[in-house]
Amino acid sequence: MTRNKLLLLGAALAAAAMFSLAAGPAGLSDWGVITDLRLPRTLAALVVGAGLGLAGALFQGVLKNPLSDPYILGTSAGATAAAVGCFAAGVDRGSPLFFIAVFAGAFGATFLSYWLARLAGRLSDAALVLAGVAVSAFLSAVVMLTLSVARERSFSLFYFVLGGLYSAQPGVLAFCAALTAACAAAAMARWRALDAMAMGEEKAYHLGARPARERVIFFTLACAATSAAVALGGTIGFVGLMTPHIVRLAAGPSARVLVPASAAGGAALLAAADAAGRSVFSPAEVPAGVIMAIAGAPFFMWLLWRRSGGDR
Amino acid sequence: MTLLKVDRLSFSYGPGPLIKDLSFEARPGDLICVLGPNGCGKSTLLKLLTGYMKAQGGSVRLSGEDASAVAPERLAALAAYVPSEISTPYDFTVRETVLLGRIARRGFWRGYSSEDAAAADLAMAETGTAALAGRSIVTLSSGERQLVFIAQALAQEAKLLLLDEPTSHLDMKYKSDIMALLARLAGKGLAVAAVLHEPALAALGCGKALLMEKGGGYAFGPAAEMLRPARLAAVYGLPETSPLLASVPVRP
Repeated sequence: MTRNKLLLLGAALAAAAMFSLAAGPAGLSDWGVITDLRLPRTLAALVVGAGLGLAGALFQGVLKNPLSDPYILGTSAGATAAAVGCFAAGVDRGSPLFFIAVFAGAFGATFLSYWLARLAGRLSDAALVLAGVAVSAFLSAVVMLTLSVARERSFSLFYFVLGGLYSAQPGVLAFCAALTAACAAAAMARWRALDAMAMGEEKAYHLGARPARERVIFFTLACAATSAAVALGGTIGFVGLMTPHIVRLAAGPSARVLVPASAAGGAALLAAADAAGRSVFSPAEVPAGVIMAIAGAPFFMWLLWRRSGGDR
Repeated sequence: MTLLKVDRLSFSYGPGPLIKDLSFEARPGDLICVLGPNGCGKSTLLKLLTGYMKAQGGSVRLSGEDASAVAPERLAALAAYVPSEISTPYDFTVRETVLLGRIARRGFWRGYSSEDAAAADLAMAETGTAALAGRSIVTLSSGERQLVFIAQALAQEAKLLLLDEPTSHLDMKYKSDIMALLARLAGKGLAVAAVLHEPALAALGCGKALLMEKGGGYAFGPAAEMLRPARLAAVYGLPETSPLLASVPVRP
């Protein structure tokens, strides 16, 4: 990637962060509002977006499937179901048990989707999407069931499920940021294995990779990044799907650039979406997850149309 | 030095054998065509040779090393494999694609060295794809793409090159070019084994042929003998007078 494109990406990130800090009814002179309320929220948006963008790039590479992301594969739904289960059981959001449960939910749901898609024999893109939809639908139903039963807390749970970035505790925020950064660093170090997997498992094996091991490694990293994102921001879809596609248009598909650029791009995208949700419909506030779905679902449709040969 | 030694290899998907007690070997300079009717196990054989699929009996040795025991990183330096159809949804450049042939050389954690770049350049020059270096692989014709993946295999610098139907879906010019390339590589001391769909192509430089039948029977020997019309007619289930067989020129 040329220096110019890196600068462009940095500028987009800075602009999104500024937008996020500035968006809202209070003026820029009201410094207390910015540092106490908006800054944590902006940081949370950046961390969640980076985690989801990173996870999308890893899933799309290791599965050789451009339609995959943590939302579509059921990773987010698994993490959300585990998180909601923890809330219902009274487990604190800052406790290690909460993170372990969320990661287990993410990892379990992802491998369940993968295993279901594999049952048909050769792993096809469509089978993976279908399996992810089935797993997500089931887990979402479990979440709705929990919401219906846990009446007294259901309002805050409802906003968690919708995907919002309201109340990031500093400790949770710092932990999630560190976890996401560690996942990004580990994935960047293995970028050539990810490129090999993007050629398909059979080719990757013959280039000298171990497909089964790489799958576990990259699923683990992607699920950990998704867990951090869900723990902070609930279920937010389409960041992981859209970001790598946008980055590839500018910087090409090689994981060497794609992995860090998707993390940075996801951060910029979600910070902008969250800021838009706060300002465009003011005084009403739209959760970032809703903004992303409104932008992302048509993007997914466009991807399907393009893959069906619609642009030829 | 025997680059490939297959000894009494057996494999089956179901009750009947697909490959049974198959033995052959490849030495530097060999260009071997693998022929046989659809479903006789040609593609499966190649995957057994590299250990991607596990044989149920027998052994494969690559430059003397047991293929079922070598690590994938080492395997990539012993044998390179070009699948019949390779597709990726991502638009890697030709150069990035060829460089992937080097990933097992220095561990996944490190970047490409100048040695890797030199090997990729050499492989692109050998296959005539140097001019395409900056192009995206999704914009290439199927013939160009095939050459790029052969270049990727060459960048591995393995002495044994295995190709699964390298000429399928290609026009006559590319078929002829790719067969000439394989013959040239064999001339440089590689051992090349290619699964071919058309026996006529085997006449373009193949010195030896492995003729596989359905049910596990096989014959291995000089191409001139293996490609005799009577033999092909029996293996493919054609009448000996079929005009398709007449097009297979047999070199003396």
